[in-house]
Amino acid sequence: MFELEVGSDARDTVSGPVTPVIETAELTKTYGESRGIDGVSMTVEAGEVFGFLGPNGAGKTTTIRTLLDLLHPTSGSARVFGLDSRRDTLRIRARTGNLPGDFAYDARLTGREVIDLFARLRGISDLGRARDLAERFEADLDRPLAELSRGNRQKVGLVQAMFHEPELLILDEPTSGLDPLMQEEFLKVVREARERGGTVFLSSHDLDEVERVCDRVGIIRHGRLVDVEEVADLTERAYRHVTLEFSGPVDAAEFAAIAGVTELERSGNRIAFKAQSNLDAVIKAAARHELVDIELTHPSLEEIFLTFYGEHGPR
Amino acid sequence: MTTRVEAAAGARRDLTPQPALSVFGTLVRRGMRDRRRAPLSWGGSLGAMSALIVAIWPSIEGSISKAVRSYPRGLKEAFGIGELNNVAAYLDAEMFSLIVPLALSFFAVRVITSAIASAEEAGHLDTLLAAPVSRRVLVASALATAAAMSAVILAVLGTASWIAGAIAGSGLPLGRLVAALVGVWALAMLFAGLAALATGPLRRPAAVTAVATGTLIAMYVIDLLGKIARDVEPVRWASAFRYYDSPLADGLDPLAAAGLALTGVGLAAVGALLLERRDIR
Ligand SMILES: Nc1ncnc2c1ncn2[C@@H]1O[C@H](COP(=O)(O)OP(=O)(O)OP(=O)(O)O)[C@@H](O)[C@H]1O
Ligand SMILES: [Mg+2]
Repeated sequence: MFELEVGSDARDTVSGPVTPVIETAELTKTYGESRGIDGVSMTVEAGEVFGFLGPNGAGKTTTIRTLLDLLHPTSGSARVFGLDSRRDTLRIRARTGNLPGDFAYDARLTGREVIDLFARLRGISDLGRARDLAERFEADLDRPLAELSRGNRQKVGLVQAMFHEPELLILDEPTSGLDPLMQEEFLKVVREARERGGTVFLSSHDLDEVERVCDRVGIIRHGRLVDVEEVADLTERAYRHVTLEFSGPVDAAEFAAIAGVTELERSGNRIAFKAQSNLDAVIKAAARHELVDIELTHPSLEEIFLTFYGEHGPR
Repeated sequence: MTTRVEAAAGARRDLTPQPALSVFGTLVRRGMRDRRRAPLSWGGSLGAMSALIVAIWPSIEGSISKAVRSYPRGLKEAFGIGELNNVAAYLDAEMFSLIVPLALSFFAVRVITSAIASAEEAGHLDTLLAAPVSRRVLVASALATAAAMSAVILAVLGTASWIAGAIAGSGLPLGRLVAALVGVWALAMLFAGLAALATGPLRRPAAVTAVATGTLIAMYVIDLLGKIARDVEPVRWASAFRYYDSPLADGLDPLAAAGLALTGVGLAAVGALLLERRDIR
């Protein structure tokens, strides 16, 4: 019972089992003939950061927009805070903050006017948190949205999504368009939201980003939820592409012998291979020679999908 | 572990949807602020034209009545120029039988289209409707914004005409002027409602505008033809212009005006229901 879920003890101290924050049952949405999502069933618990990972056109945005009642499900259902996503949508939206995939609002308005408007619509009079967030994201609230770059508009969108400190954040590719420094700040803000007991549901293309901030990851592909994993398990299975360049010739067998090293290739003084988990041994072996260059890259999302899930779902 | 839960409870606000009326008020205020230049641009230009016509009346009064007497009867009936022997009839023929009702209706249609269809196309509704804002309140606020801004534009137009008449001594009767402004406002509300209805099934702003302004022009033509052609007369009832009539020349039919405005509200209500049933793209 106890090893069932990471962090379940923290949630259960309040009053026994807690209703999931998001719960979908065979949620399906088709656009006329074409597929949107197909039978998505998942549960997001209170206090977790849930990553929704999938390539372009997988159905992430469709799922999110259905949760917010912008789209009506073709079949199946969704509950948020235990409330029906259609009937109780206003109560759900009052307790949720959302960043759409492509944040846009009346371009003549400044960020401040946008935040003011949403504060009124939500009945929030204290804008302290909005100022805080704007400062942290370095969002320019004084210029009309029309004059902002895509990334800077995205920051206004983030402030808009978070300023009322909702219990649930639903963020569609929140870091797209943000520079690395801002992505870092964003991940910090997400962690803080979780520390305050909030729940975060975020979609992403970026496995690395998801690994760094999420507790669990749902993997969606071709409209189907193919897997839900603890991030820790995912990371354990993840591998790195390693390229080592030495000042002189090195015996490749030395590296091929390390456990977890596969697909080794050698060209001149350069050795490239895939390393699973055992990076320490790789670095120690490399250190015995004179290194010129070292490169460690994460596999792309598409590559991970192919490796772990094949062409058509989990292996 | 418990500290985390306590911290959560401390930070958490009680987030409940605002009353519909408060959301409505916020959206109307925002909508009016976005249109704050309309009284000057629309009201100012229509007002200037009307003022000019009222101001020159005393100097052309004699010659124009003579000229009108020589017009063919059919033409006079079609354009409602029975006897151009007073300033109200003249202003009605020049401005209030075509330009003003068309301009105001077009303005009202634009307010609705930009608040709903254009906002949807640009992705603004994804942001707005992710907040606790219901679609029916969105439609109601768009209609109310159209109503309020149309009224302000008409007030500017009326004031300009009245002042010009007073200065030039044209003898423009205030009661008739107000009647005409109310009549135009009611007509504009009908077309605003029609635009709101069209946003139910239609997504593209161009389509919504085409339906609303197409109907506007078709109704005008039907009414025009109905006045001169016996064959068209039986379908005049289907034209909103038949109920608008010529309030400046003949006085306002309050029942007809109320009917137009309330029909507009009814159409918008149906539009809101249709909008709630469909997907936002
Ligand atoms: N308005 C629409 N009309 C028709 N098909 C649509 C529409 N919106 C999405 N789709 C289809 O639904 C599928 C899922 O799209 P969705 O936008 O949910 O993907 P996504 O995971 O958000 O992709 P991305 O990472 O590119 O944002 C795609 O195959 C897409 O072509
Ligand atoms: Mg998307």
